[in-house]
Amino acid sequence: MRLPIAAGLATAAASITLYPLFRGGTWFWTGMGAIIVVVVASVLTTRNTMPRWLGPPAELFVLWVYLTMVFVLDDNWAWILPTKDSVVSLARLLGEGFDDIQRYAAPVPANPSISLLTAGGIGLIAVLVDLLAVRLRRAALAGLPLLALFTVPAAVLSDPISWPAFIIGALGYVGLLTADGRERLSHWGRAVLVRRSRGAGARIQTDTAPLSLAGKRIGFAAIALAIALPALLPTLEPSPLFGFGVGSGTGRGGNTITIPNPIASLRGQLNQPQNATVLTYTNNDNVPRYLRMYSLDTFDGEQWTMSQPKGRPEDRVSEAPMPPPPGLSLDVPVKNVATQIRVSDDVEGLSFLPLPYPSASVRVEGDWRADESTLMVFSTRDTAGGQSYSIAGREPQPTTDDLRTLPGTPDVEIATRYLALPPDLPPQIRGMAARLVKDTDTPYEAAVKLQSWFTSGGGFVYSLRTQGNGNEALLDFLNNRAGYCEQFAAAMAVMARVLGIPARVGIGYTGGSFIDGSWQVRTHDLHAWPELYFEGAGWLRFEPTPAGGLGQATARIPDYSRPPVTTGTPGDTPTAGPTGGTDANDPAGGLAGARRDPRDPDTGLAAGPVIVDTGVPVPAKIGLGFVALLLVGLLPAAWRALVRYRRRRAWAQADGAAGEGGAAAAREGRLRGQARAPETVLGHAVHASWQELIDTLYDLRLGHEASETPRALARRLVEQCELDGASASSITRIASAEERMRYARTPGRVGSLSEDMRTVRDALRARVPRSRRLRATLLPPSTLRRLRGVGEKMLDGFDRLETLRLWPRRRDLPPPGREQAAEERPLAGSRR
Amino acid sequence: MGITHDVGQELDGLVATAHRIREAIESVIEGKSDVVRLTLTVLLAEGHLLIEDVPGVGKTMLAKALARSIDCPVRRVQFTPDLLPSDITGVSAFNQQSREFEFKPGPVFANIVVGDEINRASPKTQSALLECMEEHQVTVDGTTYRLETPFMVIATQNPIEMEGTYPLPEAQRDRFTARIAMGYPEPAAELEMLDVHGASSPLDKLEPVATTAEVKALIDAVRAVYVSQPIKKYAIDLVTSTRQSPDLRLGASPRATLHLVRAARAQAALAGRDYVIPDDLQELAVPVLAHRLLPSLEAQGQRRRPEHVMAELVRRVPVPDSRERGFDGAGSER
Repeated sequence: MRLPIAAGLATAAASITLYPLFRGGTWFWTGMGAIIVVVVASVLTTRNTMPRWLGPPAELFVLWVYLTMVFVLDDNWAWILPTKDSVVSLARLLGEGFDDIQRYAAPVPANPSISLLTAGGIGLIAVLVDLLAVRLRRAALAGLPLLALFTVPAAVLSDPISWPAFIIGALGYVGLLTADGRERLSHWGRAVLVRRSRGAGARIQTDTAPLSLAGKRIGFAAIALAIALPALLPTLEPSPLFGFGVGSGTGRGGNTITIPNPIASLRGQLNQPQNATVLTYTNNDNVPRYLRMYSLDTFDGEQWTMSQPKGRPEDRVSEAPMPPPPGLSLDVPVKNVATQIRVSDDVEGLSFLPLPYPSASVRVEGDWRADESTLMVFSTRDTAGGQSYSIAGREPQPTTDDLRTLPGTPDVEIATRYLALPPDLPPQIRGMAARLVKDTDTPYEAAVKLQSWFTSGGGFVYSLRTQGNGNEALLDFLNNRAGYCEQFAAAMAVMARVLGIPARVGIGYTGGSFIDGSWQVRTHDLHAWPELYFEGAGWLRFEPTPAGGLGQATARIPDYSRPPVTTGTPGDTPTAGPTGGTDANDPAGGLAGARRDPRDPDTGLAAGPVIVDTGVPVPAKIGLGFVALLLVGLLPAAWRALVRYRRRRAWAQADGAAGEGGAAAAREGRLRGQARAPETVLGHAVHASWQELIDTLYDLRLGHEASETPRALARRLVEQCELDGASASSITRIASAEERMRYARTPGRVGSLSEDMRTVRDALRARVPRSRRLRATLLPPSTLRRLRGVGEKMLDGFDRLETLRLWPRRRDLPPPGREQAAEERPLAGSRR
Repeated sequence: MGITHDVGQELDGLVATAHRIREAIESVIEGKSDVVRLTLTVLLAEGHLLIEDVPGVGKTMLAKALARSIDCPVRRVQFTPDLLPSDITGVSAFNQQSREFEFKPGPVFANIVVGDEINRASPKTQSALLECMEEHQVTVDGTTYRLETPFMVIATQNPIEMEGTYPLPEAQRDRFTARIAMGYPEPAAELEMLDVHGASSPLDKLEPVATTAEVKALIDAVRAVYVSQPIKKYAIDLVTSTRQSPDLRLGASPRATLHLVRAARAQAALAGRDYVIPDDLQELAVPVLAHRLLPSLEAQGQRRRPEHVMAELVRRVPVPDSRERGFDGAGSER
């Protein structure tokens, strides 16, 4: 009975970690329902004398019935029994669920199909956990399915699991292990003598209680350590397990960044019914430019992903200009562009700045850093929502002639990083790419050819019904010729790599639409495009996705990438690289191009070496670290000194009050039962001196038991430390003052506390070895006492949790009319 | 300890009187000052004392010495198996002359009653003492007679393992404020005893050093000793710990709490203090509480007597400290 419930609880606790995947909470309740159904089935099959193997099939069956009842109730016979119709509808709903999961990026809306998928999944995990923990009695192994459930959000989102969710999940598992351990103990069947006294407040104690308590303490301690340790360790690795502390992704003080899966959210954004404004921008030449946020450089056959951007302190955009754009040589003409961008307040959690490519400098508030190789600008602490920033850009304006005559062999580093392809890339893709460009001479011509094949020659149709950008998806896309920017960009980038052109996928926004004097970029302008690298021109943006009403509405083909036949005037096809799109798909294109052409005074600066701030030198950092460590180490001593100072002040006040006949007033006040000021002052001073004495004892490790009375303590110290007359009488005075203050009707006369305290302290210090004295000064143990007190309280809390019961044990209830009696009886087996 | 207090006149007188009684008793009982002081404490706490030890260590002598040193009626009952309840409480006899029933008071009608070898009497007779001890009254033939004040029963008993003994029931043990063991005297004390007792009994030379009125005044003074709230809580903590200890089958009763605090008052007064301190309770916890406790089977198996368990509990229960809010007795469970 205990074990199936513990298994269910563990599954429920682990499933809580799924919360960031969904919008709304309905999935949770249906999931809980599935768990409850499984647990009830499990309990029923274990309780009664049914064959052991019957459990899992029975659970699966009731899970199925439950799912049909919840999701396709109308098709059931008499609402309960599944019929053929209900099976079909359930399967259909399941299919929709799978589709939806592909379609949406997390957090997904909890619609019926997705809820079904979730509840079914949780239910299956519950069955599996039950099978392992209850049937096979391998509770530890049951952690595996739980772990699988646990890693789902970690795999889907790159956000770290929040630590409360982790604690809940871990507690569930510990609970399962504890339940298993107890079940095991109970099977030992040993005779335990149980004392049972029915006096008031009597507690029952057996040997099993401390045992299980120890287990729980170990479990709690392990969880606490698992939480605290990663938070305390300075992380070098950028992927901390938990979203807080030093290794935080979003919290303040973090030094790493969580990588979103930008491509996964593409279609979700494009599919959204409302088309909200994401940002607005203005620039000096009024030409729309693509604003890039992410640059996906890795293709593993499954998808395009982004490798970890590197943001060194010296790459802060506030402190230094942006790194020079890679591959851009000095003889490509450059155009100065100034852009002001304002990101809407509603944008949440965006830690990458949408920027035209390439930017020379970015003025923005906060700790934003630039990745040297991709020029992405991101922050670990700040988000882009509500930010206003301005960019100075130097847009390369290569002509088609320039591009045609480029040397062609890319840098080795670039080539290894951006030409990598998975070994299992379908040969059809390779073949298709090779066939397309067989009559071209230069990489540039091949790229242009590829692009025009996508936009016009290949007969591709823009459609948001497709999904994915892995091998299979791309092959489907190339065969079916239908997809949206995700597939277009991915396919072109892959094919470019096949052809030996370094390629990556940029994700960001298109230039948007010109409304009321500024460019407005909306949710539907989210876009993906390939960026191709040409040695000398750097990264250049291409646009394979069809534009206009039947495609990505605001996509624009860059001028330099138009086939020479159509453009005609290669002289004024300037344009930015990948992102800084000066795009002339519209009639104004040529005009704009003409306007933005000539001015390029700072060519040298743009590509020249940039002086960067190297930050604090390493030895100084180490020194600072030591100093900080030292300061932290001195904290206890400082705390102790502060405490002593406050106590001294209390003594001084008391001495002053005593001088003015305060003691008499104090007694009077006390007799009348009023807390008069002098009396309080005296009380404080006496208690302070007593506390100081106790703290001194702790510091000097002379010890003090809680059951030791002031008088006994004084006696012991006099004997143990062989105190002489003066110090002995001092300590006796302190003890007696404290004793009277605590227990007597009147506090009595109190001498000079500070004097006595000093005498005692000196006398005690003189009796202990020098090392102990030093330790008492530098690392006084008494300051840790309070900390330990807090720890003890927490343990007490755990103990109380342990004894907490929702309903009283039947054996605990005394039968009426029998009080005082105490009885002993041997009990075989377990009591609980 | 040389602690200076504002000790009232009353306390001064008390201390002086108590000192006289103590000296008187100690002139008879050599080298047992602890036992003597506890005896006085019980007297001032209006309690009853149970002295338990092997025969011949001076139990009866102690009882007699105390009785003799106070100028008050003292009766001694030798408990034997054939003793009847009426032999203790008294009987109504028919007076031929007045043709009426007349009450002949038994030995309990005295200020100090010495019950010798109490556990040799039958349970019926033992229990006849119960009412007297608790209620300070005797009821015979429907008439209730008040007993004198002060009234103290000093019972001696041989260890229950000895032959011909009936163990005192828990209910009756609970009525004794304290139980003490005399213990064998030190060799030096025994040597002196030989010298002194060899010629004549020192008991004969003992003159009363205090009057009944004086003792009554002492008792009144003890009642006025201050017991602060923390001390009360501490007493409760101590008693509660006996009820929760796994080593004990039966803990101390609420009556034990009362006795403990009363005895602590007396002890404080004897020390010249007008307030009780935890040390008083700690010192008295074993003699006042231990004889009421029943060890659990496990503790019995380990040969741990209730005295040992009690002493350990005293070491574990924290003393109330200066913070009033700290007195929640939380520590007593550990």
